[in-house]
Amino acid sequence: MSPDATPGPNPPRRVRVTAPRSQARRASPGYPVAREIAEESEVGQVFVRSLIRSQLRLAVVVAVGFLLILLAFPLLLAWVPGMDRATFLGVPFGWLLLGVGVYPLIGLSAWLYVRTASRNEARYLDLVEDE
Amino acid sequence: MNPAVGYAGLIGVFVVTAAIGFYGLRISRTTEDFYVASRTVRPWWNASAIGGEYLSAASFLGVAGLILISGADALWFPIGYTAGYLMLLLFVAAPLRRSGAYTVPDFTEGRLESVAARRVTSLLVVLVGWFYIVPQLQGAALTIRIATGLPSWVGSVAVAVVVCVTVLMGGMRAITFVQAFQFWLKLTAIAVPIVFVLIVMANNGLAIPAVAEPFASNPVGSPPSGTYRNISLVIALLFGTLGLPHVLVRFYTNPDGTSARRTTLIVLALLSVFYIFPTLYGVVGRAFAPDLAAAGTADALVLLLPGRLIPGLAGDMLTALVIAGAFAAFLSTTSGLVVSVAGVISQDVLGGRVRGFRIAAVFSSIAPLGVALMTDSMQLAGSVGLVFAFTASTLCPLLLLGIWWRGLTDAGAIAGMLAGGALCGGSIVLGRVLGSGTGLLGELLAQPAAWTVPTAFAVMIGVSLATKSRRPGGITKIMTRLHTPERRSAAATR
Repeated sequence: MSPDATPGPNPPRRVRVTAPRSQARRASPGYPVAREIAEESEVGQVFVRSLIRSQLRLAVVVAVGFLLILLAFPLLLAWVPGMDRATFLGVPFGWLLLGVGVYPLIGLSAWLYVRTASRNEARYLDLVEDE
Repeated sequence: MNPAVGYAGLIGVFVVTAAIGFYGLRISRTTEDFYVASRTVRPWWNASAIGGEYLSAASFLGVAGLILISGADALWFPIGYTAGYLMLLLFVAAPLRRSGAYTVPDFTEGRLESVAARRVTSLLVVLVGWFYIVPQLQGAALTIRIATGLPSWVGSVAVAVVVCVTVLMGGMRAITFVQAFQFWLKLTAIAVPIVFVLIVMANNGLAIPAVAEPFASNPVGSPPSGTYRNISLVIALLFGTLGLPHVLVRFYTNPDGTSARRTTLIVLALLSVFYIFPTLYGVVGRAFAPDLAAAGTADALVLLLPGRLIPGLAGDMLTALVIAGAFAAFLSTTSGLVVSVAGVISQDVLGGRVRGFRIAAVFSSIAPLGVALMTDSMQLAGSVGLVFAFTASTLCPLLLLGIWWRGLTDAGAIAGMLAGGALCGGSIVLGRVLGSGTGLLGELLAQPAAWTVPTAFAVMIGVSLATKSRRPGGITKIMTRLHTPERRSAAATR
């Protein structure tokens, strides 16, 4: 259902959708058998486990970092003297931090995560597809 | 408010939605299209569709209303709604896509190789879906009453009926288009009026410093919500998002894990832009419409503010636009929820035929309608927050441990979900019965996520460790499938 898939001269015939999809597709098409075997070998499992570990570590580090900074915002407002009364263009600092400032932080964390996670996966593919 | 304006907004959104649904229906013809709008849905379309489904009554009306009432404390709501997607990205997005599961119960069955665990998950998904639909219908009731002067129940019934008919007609096929469109409608409908309001204010010499006092003002004298409540709320929103059934279904339409991540990244950007605007409504509302908070109709702030500050035809047109946006929010979230709940019911109870799906869809629209008509509406953002707390205490531990921990067993998953569900559900009910009590107990019951989520995790881990023999045999293969990337050539040709 892509926006540019206009019906051509011979559009595919309309079919009735019947069966539900309780058993969803298990593998992506063309998931190579050779790779599946490689991944089930002992060496392959070492690679898989190390990939899972590094992805989990990355996710936890980003999440904890984000939450610590988020926690620092209200603490900053409470503890830095005068901060709760400080304003910028008439808007109190607290409102700016929570109403606007958090969002770039979320975006930055997400972007960093996606970049590093993709790099981890590329490294894994290098290992496995060389097997 | 002039009822003609209300009707114009309503009819506009219904007609445009139907037209796009029809257009989408015409260009998608095959079974492939039906299930896997997937392989051709680009991240931008998909992200817009996710945003369209996610931004509900609570986001469109509730956030501004809550800021009007409780000020800066309410800013934690949009932060939580957005950061929940960050957690989804970090821990769930790519592995869930790679699991090949279409719904959360599918995931449970595949991962734990247990039908019993699947049944419990299905039950929870249905509960979560229904209780999330209720505030949407209550938002519709409020909007109808304010926009047209008709009695409140008309709004709830209208949304339930329209959603039910759309789903019955097989609108699933067109749903990506419709949802994507509704995101941009909602963004336009909330952004354009407030920009006009700000321009008018600037022209009238109301520069920003002149409205600085609303930041400090407190129209109904609501007490600050306290550290525990804020922390508990953020926990509920952060971890509740990643279990929402209608959000998870959408990830299946990504071609692979990598694009599931990219989609989530775009969703985060879209939500960040969107939530600037309800905040602006709340702030301007504190200066010019504090009486709404006192009258108990704070959730109507977004609907009424443009008309109050901009007189004449321009104001009417802007009001019609916001009403259309609000109804887009009710319709898109409700239909997403009805489709995912009906899918689960029809598979698990009615044998999975198309007829079963239709019966389930009717049932899934009527049951929450009954609840919505029988209960008084709380503040929209608040009641949605409790649904998030419930999801965070049940489905979130299941997904996180299921994806990242080999040791999870079916017995552990069932025990953890039941414990979290009973504790969280119980304290929500008890909190309503006892009224808004003060003191420690009142706080713990009013916002339970901070203690129910860790308890659910602890039970799930503890019971799993005690039942090690029940670990599924194919766990190595399952974990490999969840976490390894698709092969490179597939990624390169996309």
